[in-house]
Amino acid sequence: MAAGALLLVFALVRRGGSLGLALWIAGAVYVSEIVAAGRHVDATAPVVAVLLLLCGELAAWSLDERWEIRSDDLLGWRRAAAVCALALAGLVAAAVVLGLAAVPPSHGLVWTAVGAVAAVGAAGVGALLRPR
Amino acid sequence: MIRFTSPRLPAYAVLVGSGLVAGLALGRVEPVALAAPFALALVAAVLARQPTVAARLSLDRERALEGDEVKATIELSGHAGHLELLLPLPQELTAEDGAARALVLRAREERTIELTLRCERWGAFSLGPLLVRARDVLGFRSWEGEAAEVQSLRVYPSEETLRSLVAPLETQVFAGNQVSRVRGEGIEFADLRAWQPGDRVRRVNWRASALRGELWVNEQHPERNTDVVLFLDTFSDVRAHGRSTHDRAVRAAATLAHGYLQRKDRVGLIGFGGFLSWLLPASGTRRLYAIVDTLLTSDVVQSFAFRDVDTLPPRTLPPKALVLAITPLLDARTAAALLDLRARGYDLIVVEVSPVEIVAPEPGSHMELAHRLWRLSRDALRWRYETVGVPVVTWRDDMPLAVPIEEVNSFRHLARPA
Repeated sequence: MAAGALLLVFALVRRGGSLGLALWIAGAVYVSEIVAAGRHVDATAPVVAVLLLLCGELAAWSLDERWEIRSDDLLGWRRAAAVCALALAGLVAAAVVLGLAAVPPSHGLVWTAVGAVAAVGAAGVGALLRPR
Repeated sequence: MIRFTSPRLPAYAVLVGSGLVAGLALGRVEPVALAAPFALALVAAVLARQPTVAARLSLDRERALEGDEVKATIELSGHAGHLELLLPLPQELTAEDGAARALVLRAREERTIELTLRCERWGAFSLGPLLVRARDVLGFRSWEGEAAEVQSLRVYPSEETLRSLVAPLETQVFAGNQVSRVRGEGIEFADLRAWQPGDRVRRVNWRASALRGELWVNEQHPERNTDVVLFLDTFSDVRAHGRSTHDRAVRAAATLAHGYLQRKDRVGLIGFGGFLSWLLPASGTRRLYAIVDTLLTSDVVQSFAFRDVDTLPPRTLPPKALVLAITPLLDARTAAALLDLRARGYDLIVVEVSPVEIVAPEPGSHMELAHRLWRLSRDALRWRYETVGVPVVTWRDDMPLAVPIEEVNSFRHLARPA
């Protein structure tokens, strides 16, 4: 409730400028709930992740449509398809993460190499995205 | 093109980082799973290609009249997943369906967009460059820039219909369409007089000569041209609810210039205001375009500089010229300059572009008394002009220009040179 009220206040005050904060608060609320719930892995985490992503994408889409511009019909369909594709890919990725977490630790060199490549990839993405 | 990043990207990066840190700190996989779709979105943003867009803007014509529609054509080539275009328009031009468009531009595709621009008010405008914004499909990154060259558009003021023009009291020495008051070689019959040595035989009026028993000859009025100077007061403008005294003054000046130039008269222009502008009297179509072009760029500029007639170049006011002053009678400097012109012997007519209706107060408001006093002061100024023999005609907002012109013409036979 408190998080929801906080989100409402931010939405009214910032008018769309605090989208990232809203997503972060929603994610934090979810994580705190599963931590409080116990040790078992929540299988719905990929769905929650994708819903959070959809919240962000659809909110951004609505903000982009604030200005009345005569546009091609194709634009809306293309963006809808892209959002759906991203959501599906995100669902698969989150499910893979959950699946990989089920693999017991110290399971061999291959998994260690995969983990290292993933870490380097994440760092690379961060480096590419940094403001120039 | 300048690249911009959506505020979502840093937010998603923070989410991914927080998820990974929380996963490590809490020893749980769910925060990492939460971060996975956002990490994928970051990868999608990184993979977005920079678009290339080339645009060309053209207008179907460079000159138009008030109320006309002009087609602006935008030719696009290149590739962009989501392209937004905006043609910045001045207030005087409006576009049907807006001046912005959003479209998809596929690789090696050429697209043409047509915008219909409506010219609401006269003026000289520069259209372009186009503002272009290209985005990736999800709107993570965008590139903004300008494209296409600037195109110029001149919108001429619409002209009023005039049945007649005010005839100057005195004509010049060159041939024209105005019947002069003096007598000489011409077509219009003036009078009879006794024959004098040197008179041509063809001028002998044989019927009158037979009646009187001696030779009498016809006298005619010659057709001469006149010099007309349009004196445009650009010191002040009253503008409200889409109505403006300056707009109407420019429209009147263009109409009168066209009318007099069609009569082969020489027409000059004086823009008397914060910026002084002038055109020496001349005739012909080129002069008409020069006058209208000068009118298009005329604007009311706030100024406290002292100006009088002495600041004008000498040849802008030729002797025996008819001076048609088009003024809202708001600035004391114009009022004094016009009285000075009359004192110098110019044939002066004041067309008062009335601002009274534009600033009329609401009935019953406390402004009514001030408005009444203001109108009284204007009446006093008009009376000052009339005492020195200057006709002042009021052109109200709801009447055509022909009304004040005809009003002058109806009393014109009483006018005498100063």
